[in-house]
Amino acid sequence: MAEAVEVRKVAQESGEFEPKIVAFLCKWCSSAGSDLAGVSRLQYPSNAVPITVPCSGSVSPIYILSAFNKGADGVLVSGCHPGDCHYLKGNFFARRRIYLVQKLLQFIGVEPNRFRMSWVSAAEGTKYAQVIADFVKDLKPLGPHGKLGAKR
Amino acid sequence: MVAIEDIRARARTLLESGEVRAVLGYQRGSAGTLAEPAFLTEPQQAASLVWDPTCIHNLALYLVNEKKRQRTQRSNDKRPLAVVAKGCDSRALVVLLQENHIDRSEVVILGVSCEGGGVIDPRKLTRALAGRAATTVAMDGADAIRVGTASGETTLPASELLADRCLECARAYPELYDTLYGDKAEGRSYSPRFAALNTVAEKPLDERRAYWNAHFERCIRCYACRAVCPMCYCDECVVDSTEFVVTPNTSADEKANRIRWIQRSPDASESAMYHLVRAMHLAGRCIDCAECERVCPVNIPVRLLNNVLEREALEAFEYVPGTDPGLPSLISSFRDGDPNDFVR
Ligand code: SF4
Ligand code: SF4
Repeated sequence: MAEAVEVRKVAQESGEFEPKIVAFLCKWCSSAGSDLAGVSRLQYPSNAVPITVPCSGSVSPIYILSAFNKGADGVLVSGCHPGDCHYLKGNFFARRRIYLVQKLLQFIGVEPNRFRMSWVSAAEGTKYAQVIADFVKDLKPLGPHGKLGAKR
Repeated sequence: MVAIEDIRARARTLLESGEVRAVLGYQRGSAGTLAEPAFLTEPQQAASLVWDPTCIHNLALYLVNEKKRQRTQRSNDKRPLAVVAKGCDSRALVVLLQENHIDRSEVVILGVSCEGGGVIDPRKLTRALAGRAATTVAMDGADAIRVGTASGETTLPASELLADRCLECARAYPELYDTLYGDKAEGRSYSPRFAALNTVAEKPLDERRAYWNAHFERCIRCYACRAVCPMCYCDECVVDSTEFVVTPNTSADEKANRIRWIQRSPDASESAMYHLVRAMHLAGRCIDCAECERVCPVNIPVRLLNNVLEREALEAFEYVPGTDPGLPSLISSFRDGDPNDFVR
């Protein structure tokens, strides 16, 4: 038994745990950026499940909470750089809202590294790959998340 | 000092002249010490109005509910309602005005200032009296509350009985009113704003998680906190699939395929979702009347979830809810200088 625990710990330390990331990508920038990362054949971790949304401003907090409750270990919201929004100001609204969601999640004890936001333009395939790689690197030491409000 | 006679007189005149449809105020309750909301329609009832630290309820709720009720009635009595409003109640009215849920012509605000006092927390009172029932509760000077029980009177420090929100309240007077009773007292000195929040927010992450998980686990999802909230006025609420609006044109398919974002089972993770969604929906709208916390049958500190966003709104966006009906709301506005360094 003790051995089994030991093995699991070693397995985690050696990076066996692969976090699941749900990434909400805006259609006009970040989603195109992730496509670019793909067609440029960039190597980056395959942990992120991309979900294309019309605009980062259309990401309701309930999507984020729901992702956590349905088994995501980390959630990413990504949109166009400020000033570049296809709908002019969607990402400004998103920035405010996401800031609040993030503070609320931290308050109830979700590690700050489990949720993040990024600006990735359609030309930034490398940045997208980097954002995902960094996210995976930061999530690995945290281990699985489990549902919100569940004992860990 | 708030002279209750003045409020009664005003209520009487308003009802006599027929200017208002009814007066919403407080009267002595029939169960226990607490005052209860009163819905007065006859001038002679005005004499039953009271004002003391047991006038806890946020009457803005009854304005909202009456509006809901009236929609289903045939009567087209368009006269306004008069509402007795404490500082926090008036801030609730400001938010309702800001959101165009009510119109200024629909309400006559009889603002009362809490001056140096506020309202009591019934749980604190029960604890202080060790279970004995109080018969009267009244402010005694600025910092003391006189409590009468069957076995005589005691005077307790106000800081032991007042609700947390009142201890932290910086502006204990109405923001918006037609007539004001009492003085606008500045500089109250009980506890700093967000004192209750900070005791939890300062815990380490693990403890915070354990703290909230334990509370979410206990929530029975009675939705009392939502029902008592003057800002939770939607007909259809995302957290509760039984409330989805169904019209004769809603097809069976539509009914079956509605997304149930949150399950109704009072499971810790679903309850966490409920509370977080509710906190988000109240961001920039909650004016901290703390009614949600008071009505919770299992003592969940619901108020703190709203407080944390209130503090963020203040610190990051310099937004104070309930101050100006003309202001754009927190979530539907932005500034170029909003925090950006948290974004990668
Ligand atoms: S929160 Fe402030 S305004 Fe409201 S009852 Fe307490 S002291 Fe009065
Ligand atoms: S927090 Fe309290 S009042 Fe709100 S639903 Fe849960 S048990 Fe009911």
